Amino acid sequence: MHRTIASLPLAPSVKTKLTSAGFDTCADLKDLRPLQLCKEAGISQEEALEVLQTLRSDDGVGGVNPLGGAGAVRCGVTALQLLQREHALGDIITFCSALDSALGGGVPVGKTTEVCGAPGVGKTQLCVQLAVCVQIPVCVGGQGGQALYVDTEGSFLVQRAADLAQAAVEHCTLLAHDHEQQAALKDFTVENILSRLWLVRCHDYVELLAHCYLLPDFLTKHPEVQLVVIDSIAFPFRHDFEDFSQRTRLLNGLAQQLIQLATEHSVAVVLTNQMTTKVWNGQSKLVPALGWHLFINHPVRWRLRYLTASLRMVFGIWLLPPPQAPPPPQAPPPQCHRVSGPG
Amino acid sequence: MVVLREGICPGLNQDLVQALRNLDIRTVEDLVSANLEELAQKCTVSYKALIAVRRVLLAQHAAFPVSCADLYEELLSSTAILSTGNHCLDKLLDSGLYTGEITELIGGPGSGKTQVCFSTAVHISCQLKQSVVYIDTNGGLSANRLLQMLQAKTSTMEEQMAALQRIQVFKVFDVFSLLKCLQNIRIGEVETACVGTSVKALILDSVSAVLSNMLGGKQTEGMSLMMQVAGELKTISKDLSVAVLVTNHATRDGSGQLKAGLGQSWSHVPRTRVLLQRVERPGASSGLRLATLTKSSRQSCRVEEEFDLGGWRGPEDMKAGYSGKRKLECDTPGVD
Repeated sequence: MHRTIASLPLAPSVKTKLTSAGFDTCADLKDLRPLQLCKEAGISQEEALEVLQTLRSDDGVGGVNPLGGAGAVRCGVTALQLLQREHALGDIITFCSALDSALGGGVPVGKTTEVCGAPGVGKTQLCVQLAVCVQIPVCVGGQGGQALYVDTEGSFLVQRAADLAQAAVEHCTLLAHDHEQQAALKDFTVENILSRLWLVRCHDYVELLAHCYLLPDFLTKHPEVQLVVIDSIAFPFRHDFEDFSQRTRLLNGLAQQLIQLATEHSVAVVLTNQMTTKVWNGQSKLVPALGWHLFINHPVRWRLRYLTASLRMVFGIWLLPPPQAPPPPQAPPPQCHRVSGPG
Repeated sequence: MVVLREGICPGLNQDLVQALRNLDIRTVEDLVSANLEELAQKCTVSYKALIAVRRVLLAQHAAFPVSCADLYEELLSSTAILSTGNHCLDKLLDSGLYTGEITELIGGPGSGKTQVCFSTAVHISCQLKQSVVYIDTNGGLSANRLLQMLQAKTSTMEEQMAALQRIQVFKVFDVFSLLKCLQNIRIGEVETACVGTSVKALILDSVSAVLSNMLGGKQTEGMSLMMQVAGELKTISKDLSVAVLVTNHATRDGSGQLKAGLGQSWSHVPRTRVLLQRVERPGASSGLRLATLTKSSRQSCRVEEEFDLGGWRGPEDMKAGYSGKRKLECDTPGVD
C-alpha cells in the first residue's frame, strides 16, 4: 500500500494524470471506485479499471511459484533454500560423456545457455540432440520431459530428428537391464519422441518477440516441457535492422524475458548464436555475434570449433565457474574437450 | 503532492475538506500557499481554524534542519565499514564498503563482477555474521557457487548452512518488480529468515539488466524509472544504514575508454566506482583481474590493483589495511 504510483506498471500518460490529480501512493487510491477515479483523475473508464486491477493484483500475495510473481517480492528465499532447489533440478545430459563433463554435468535447468560457432559446426545438430535427450525417461538417467524448438532459420529437418530419436531409443534399450527400466522404455519410441517435440517456426524478429511473450502461457499449460531451444537468436536480428540501439534494447528485453522464463518455470533455455569477425588493434578474431554486451550475464556460453568431419572442440567460456568442479587457479582459460558426433 | 483528506490532521473533517474542494483547494500545497483571509471569507470556516490546520500540516510535512554536529555524531555511531574479503579491493575502497553509500562495480561480460558480489556476500555472512540481501536480476546467482566459496572459508557444515541462511535472495527480472522489492525493503516489510542479525549489505546484480531496455528510443519513462531506483537505493542505504553494492555493464566512450553504462544521469548516483577488467598477459591465470578505482570521494582515482578471483584471502591478511576508522569485524567493535 505504500508503493508509489510512479513505480506501478501502467502507461506513462495515465500515471501523469494520476499524479497531477494529487495521488501519490497506492494508499490514496485504495477505497476509490472506478467512476470516482475516472472523474477525479480525468482518465477513461477502461483506464480506471485497469489501474484498480493492477493495484489489486500487485497487492495480493499471488503466484504459486515463490520465485516469481507478486509473492516473490515480499518474501525472498534464503540461499539455503535456493541450494536445495538447485539440487532438485537436474541437468539435461547429452549422453556424450566428454561433452557432459566439459559442461559440468549437462545443460543446467533453470538457466540460459548460449551455443555459438561458425556455420556448419553443428549447433543445430546439438540442439536437436538435446531436444531428444531431454525426453529420455528418468529411470535411465534422463529428465523425462518435453521440448519446445523455436526455429528461426528453417534449419530443422524432421528426418534428422527421427534419425536421432532412433539412435537414442537403441542406445537406451541397450542400457536398460531391469524390468522397471524396460517398462519405462516401452513408451520411448520414435513416434512418441517426435510427438513430444513442439516446433514453432518464426520468420522474422516480430514473430520471435511475439512468441516469446506467449511462452509463459504455453509453459503453464504444458508443465512437462523442460527445454526451450531457440535456433537461432541471431538470424532474425542480423539483417534488415537499421537502428542498432533499438536492436540492443529489444535483445536486452528478450534476454530478461528468457531468464525470467527459465527461472520461474524451471526450464533450460538454449540459444544458438552466430559468429562475426571483430577487428581490434590490427588483429581480427571470431567473436559471438550481436554485440559484446548481448546477454551480458549468461551463466554459460559454449563455443564449438570445427576439428575434422566428425570431431568438434567445445570451449566452455564460463562467466561463472562450472558448479561441480572447484575453480583451480592454474587451469588454462578454456576447457577444451574433443567431442565426436553421435551416430 | 498530498491530497487533502479527512483525518490527515486534527481539525480537518469531511465538511472542511468538501468546502475547500469547492474552492478548488485539493492538496496540502494549495492550502499552504493560499490566502487564508480570502478563504475564510469565501467559505463558512473561521480564520482561526484554517490557521491551526495550516500550522499542523506544515509541521507534518516540512523537513527539519539538523545541525552538522548532530549529523556527525550520528554518522560516527551508525556508519560501519564492511570488508569485501579481498585486501586488494579493500585498499581501493578505503578499507571496504561503507554503509550509507552506494558502491558500483563496472566491467564487461566475464570480468568478474558477479564473482566479486558472491565473495562479498559470503564474507559478510560468514566472517562478519551479518545478513545480506542479494537481488539477482539476470539469473547469475548459483547457490552451489556460494556453497563452494563457503567451503573454502569454513569446514563445519553448521556454519556453512548458517551463513547460507543469512543471505536473502530476491529474483526480479523487470524494473517494476525491482521497484516493488526495494520499496518493500525500505518499509521494512521484508521477512528476514534470520532473527537477531540485521541486514548490513544489499547487493544488486545487475542494475543495467533491468534498466537498459527501458532507456532510449521513443520511451519516455526510462529516465524516471532509473531515478526512482536510484532514489530507493539511496534512501535504503541512508535510513537502514546498509552498504549498497551495485553492478553495471561497461560501454566505450568516444575515445575508446571504458565507462559505466546507463548514461550520465546514473553516473552521479554511486559514491564509489570500481572498474574490473580481465588481465590478458601470456602466462596469467584465468582468474586474474585488474581493478581500477574510477570514482571516489575519499581516495585519488586511477589507482589499480591486480587480484585473483580464485584466491580470495581470509581475514588474517586484512590486518595490514587497518585504517583507524570504525570497522565491522567479527563481533569486536573497532578502535577509533
